[in-house]
Amino acid sequence: MPPPAVAAADASPATHTDSTSTSTSTSTSTSSQSSSNALDAVNARPQPPPETKESLWLRRSVILSFWAVVVLLGLPVWWRTTAIYRADLPLQGMTDWADGKSCKPVFPLRIAVEAPLSPQEAHHLLRTTQHALDDLNEFSAHHLRLMLADPPLPANASQQVVSDGIGSTRSDEDIALSIRLIPVETGTTPRSTLQPYSPTLDVYYMPNQIPSASSTGSPLATYIAQELHKIFAEEQALLASLLFSTSGVHTAKIKSLSAETAAELKRQSTRALKYAPTYHLTFSLFTPTFAPSGWDIESALQQYLTPLLESFSAISNFTVDTQVQLYATFSPSIHQPEYDEDLRSWSLRKEDLSGFINAAEWPLSPSIGKGPTVNFVLFVPDQNQSPLLVKENGGNSWLIPQWGGVFILNPPRDSDTPRILGKEALTPAFHTFSNQLLSLLGLPQTPASLPLRLSTLKRVRAASLIFSASSTLGALARLYQALPSIPVPDTVAKSVDLTTSHLQQACDHLREGRFQGALEHARTAEAAAEKAFFERSMVGQVYFPDEHKVAVYMPLLGPVAVPLVMAALKELKSIISGLRK
Amino acid sequence: MLSSLAFLLLHVLLAGAAASSEYDERLLLRPLPQSSLLASFTFRSTEPASTFSQQNLRYFPRSLGQILQHAHTEELHLRFSVGRWDAENWGQRPSYGAREGGTGVELWAWVEAQSEEEAFSRWLTLTNALSGLFCASLNFIDATKTIRPVMSFQPEGDHKNASNLHVLHGTLPHEVVCTENLTPFLKLLPCKGKAGISSLLDGHKLFDAAWQTMSIDVRPVCDAVSSTCSVEMEQTVDMVLDVDRAKRPRDNPIPRPLPIDEIECDTSKPYNAADTCYPLDKTAEPAWNLTEVFGRPLKGDCPLTEQAGDNANTVCLNIPPERTVQVNTSGEYAETQFSSGTLRCYKLPTGADFDLVLPKQQMTTGLVLAKPPLYAARSINGHGQERGSVQAIIKNPSATEPVEFVYLESLPWFMKPYLHTLRARVDTSPESPIRETYYRPAVDRQRGTHLELKMVIPPASTLTLTYDFEKAILRYTEYPPDANRGFDVAPAVVRLLSPNSQDKKGIYLRTTSLLLPLPTPDFSMPYNVIILTSTVMALGFGNIFNLLVRRFVGVDEAQTVGTGGVGGVVRGKLNRLKALLGKG
Repeated sequence: MPPPAVAAADASPATHTDSTSTSTSTSTSTSSQSSSNALDAVNARPQPPPETKESLWLRRSVILSFWAVVVLLGLPVWWRTTAIYRADLPLQGMTDWADGKSCKPVFPLRIAVEAPLSPQEAHHLLRTTQHALDDLNEFSAHHLRLMLADPPLPANASQQVVSDGIGSTRSDEDIALSIRLIPVETGTTPRSTLQPYSPTLDVYYMPNQIPSASSTGSPLATYIAQELHKIFAEEQALLASLLFSTSGVHTAKIKSLSAETAAELKRQSTRALKYAPTYHLTFSLFTPTFAPSGWDIESALQQYLTPLLESFSAISNFTVDTQVQLYATFSPSIHQPEYDEDLRSWSLRKEDLSGFINAAEWPLSPSIGKGPTVNFVLFVPDQNQSPLLVKENGGNSWLIPQWGGVFILNPPRDSDTPRILGKEALTPAFHTFSNQLLSLLGLPQTPASLPLRLSTLKRVRAASLIFSASSTLGALARLYQALPSIPVPDTVAKSVDLTTSHLQQACDHLREGRFQGALEHARTAEAAAEKAFFERSMVGQVYFPDEHKVAVYMPLLGPVAVPLVMAALKELKSIISGLRK
Repeated sequence: MLSSLAFLLLHVLLAGAAASSEYDERLLLRPLPQSSLLASFTFRSTEPASTFSQQNLRYFPRSLGQILQHAHTEELHLRFSVGRWDAENWGQRPSYGAREGGTGVELWAWVEAQSEEEAFSRWLTLTNALSGLFCASLNFIDATKTIRPVMSFQPEGDHKNASNLHVLHGTLPHEVVCTENLTPFLKLLPCKGKAGISSLLDGHKLFDAAWQTMSIDVRPVCDAVSSTCSVEMEQTVDMVLDVDRAKRPRDNPIPRPLPIDEIECDTSKPYNAADTCYPLDKTAEPAWNLTEVFGRPLKGDCPLTEQAGDNANTVCLNIPPERTVQVNTSGEYAETQFSSGTLRCYKLPTGADFDLVLPKQQMTTGLVLAKPPLYAARSINGHGQERGSVQAIIKNPSATEPVEFVYLESLPWFMKPYLHTLRARVDTSPESPIRETYYRPAVDRQRGTHLELKMVIPPASTLTLTYDFEKAILRYTEYPPDANRGFDVAPAVVRLLSPNSQDKKGIYLRTTSLLLPLPTPDFSMPYNVIILTSTVMALGFGNIFNLLVRRFVGVDEAQTVGTGGVGGVVRGKLNRLKALLGKG
């Protein structure tokens, strides 16, 4: 087709013929009126031949197939190649865990009773005591279950403590406490002693206090029940407040908890460090001058710290390092110590204690490796600023929640500061540090028996780990739903599966009273949950918005889209007008 | 000669100090020609190996000790350097170059590991941890910047199981060393810059120096007699200050010429006139004092050092005996002279400021500077974006002794040397000076070139080493933000094998770093490419699409455009305008 003879007509041929026939009707009528005018004859426009049905349908199918390619192939490919991979997460299960629907932790504690009695008497005593105990217990999740120790020990009629506990404790770790009933002839009865270094309660009684088979209650049974309740009161309160603070489900069950105890428990729990399998302990000697420049730290650690850490080995591991830092000055942001005439000492104001650690200059960086660092700072003040005490209470040590402890060791008044601090000089400091460590680790204050406190800690830790892992799962589920633009790799899904399975196992172990196993599973679950939540590749593309994908390819998409859309619109118009006709 | 004797003696003193005390520090000051002043700070602390492994640290910093144990590093050498040591004017390097690093950051360490892979992963742990400790980009030392030198470095410490030790070496020539590296360096010292000679170290003056290098060296030291081991950490700062520049007040640092009547003119010049002056070469030694030159006073001694004996002499001056020195202090101090008065040492007072004042003085005698055993210079030759060549010129000034040395090059992977073009020529003999070659070629994006050459220079000769290289073209994302500045190439390290050094430290010198210009793309290129290809594609698509969907009719059959469209509107307006004009 020669170019001058051809011109592109509009792509609406159906209307074209119709509209020309109507719009040019006036001109044809005028030309027919003055047919003698030759010019008009030339102006009379010849009409293009009407379009055949085939070419009409061909054009429409061309446009349609272009659109089909774009919609069916182009858009899906584009969508697929720019989509973010999101692994499927069991969102409902995760939310259930976070809401506490999947696991209601219970703490059935087994208490073994060793009684030099006949089986019938013993069983009866057990039943009555259990009855009294159940009446006292207000917190159903924490449950003390009495049982008879398998071979009843031979009766020991003496009044002394039988042994230091080694002989009488079962190898079975799941027994929380053993009660030894010891018949005595003298003294006030019943009375009891809790052994400080073994989970054993010795109860002394007169043989006539054994309840008879017919009676339903007895002073001995009531006494034992009350003692047990007293011993486990703090643990119950701790667990109750833990349940209360983490899920609203248990609110109704702990109304017995007074506001005072709740506040105290809250204070204790905010002090304590988060649970970790390994803690790094750093002991630092700071002094604003050059003396003392050394301390007898090795023997002090050996004597005061090592036994303590060994008793904790079932719960956590510890690494210890020490340092000496001289020329450590106070931070300029706090009030410098002032001389107090009444106390005849230099005093620090209580509100400045939080700024006492000069974090900018004192090298107290966390240790390398996993786990939190607990810092213990022994500060020896300058000779002419000594003794240095806290103004409000005259104390010289304080605890910094979740961080560590500080002890100010004032050198003797009359002599120069020694260049090396001996073990004796360090004794008060290390007693304080030991206590601070115990409360930083969250060890409860009562009862007096250390193994009991440790096993309490074990249960509390297991429960808190289960709660924290569950809430991490819940947070991950919320994150997954709230940010649809973040990628979620398969490893996250795997970690979530691992977390839920270990949580389930931990929960089962708790129910069966195997607390060590529960702690271990809860620990694994917590680690897996943290790993899932802090997956590094999840944050990568959060700040890459969808608009960018379009913006970069605008030069292609724009020019391609315009003819496609225009053609489609025109064709649609013609179809509509054709239909209307 | 006197001077070098004194220098030697000082080294012996320092070496003796190592075994006897747990902590000592020393400052040596030595005026250099052209009113420069060399200040060498040395801080050395030791910790018994038993307490070190238990992490009960006294003088050894806990942060560094933990890093070393975590990364199983037995011996560590870390260097931060700025500037160039002007060997022609300044002579022998301090510590024979053993405590010096190449421009930027240099790190090498002996890591204990069972396998090469384990050693490398521990090396990465080490670099990452040190990066945080020293606020430097040491974490950028990856596989491409790490080499395993064969001949250039020997362990300084006494190692028990040397078979499991792996030496790894990494450099960052691009790193800018500044005050943020000095602050953590000072924190590692027991006296922390609050007392002792470290109180003189001020970031403004240190990094304003013509040349400065900070080093940290940790090594195990075993006593052969008592078979007790300890871990020794030596921190040094060597700097060359321009006295005139350092004396400028901080609030008015811009140098201004003196009024013309205060300048001494060289009257022998023919153009000398009332308004023209050629300044006379100063022969007088300039006046200086510690407070002025370092910008802060010396706050007495660090009381942890020994208080008696040679180790108590903390500040030493290496000056001719005739130079007058005043001591300004309110405390008690002691002065000792060594090697016929050319080395004056001072025991510092405790708790009182100390200052040394040297007035301006016309000198009749001067110190003879020790000549360095070798001079080395290296440069890039050639032009264009594709190839280049490197030329290293090493000179042996000695008239009698040949010098054997190891030349180490650690080149980035994008600089690909052609080993067949490697030529080494000595101007005095036709024989090739190369004795041994160790070469590990680069692998793109995985490791750099590692070239070690053992060579011998005959006396009074110049060795010229050249090789050609090809410049690689990097990927778009591999270019740094300042790509047009060029890429830094680490300095070459020269270690002297003979004459032997007295101790295990060795004798080293380093060339300057090189700036390698690489072909850089236009960084807006990808978007341009996208736009261009998109436009072409859209054009093609539009044509084909229109051909397919438009209907073709004869030109006279086409609907008039006057009813609609831009052309019709314009034509109509034109017609109306014509009609108006025709009327007018």
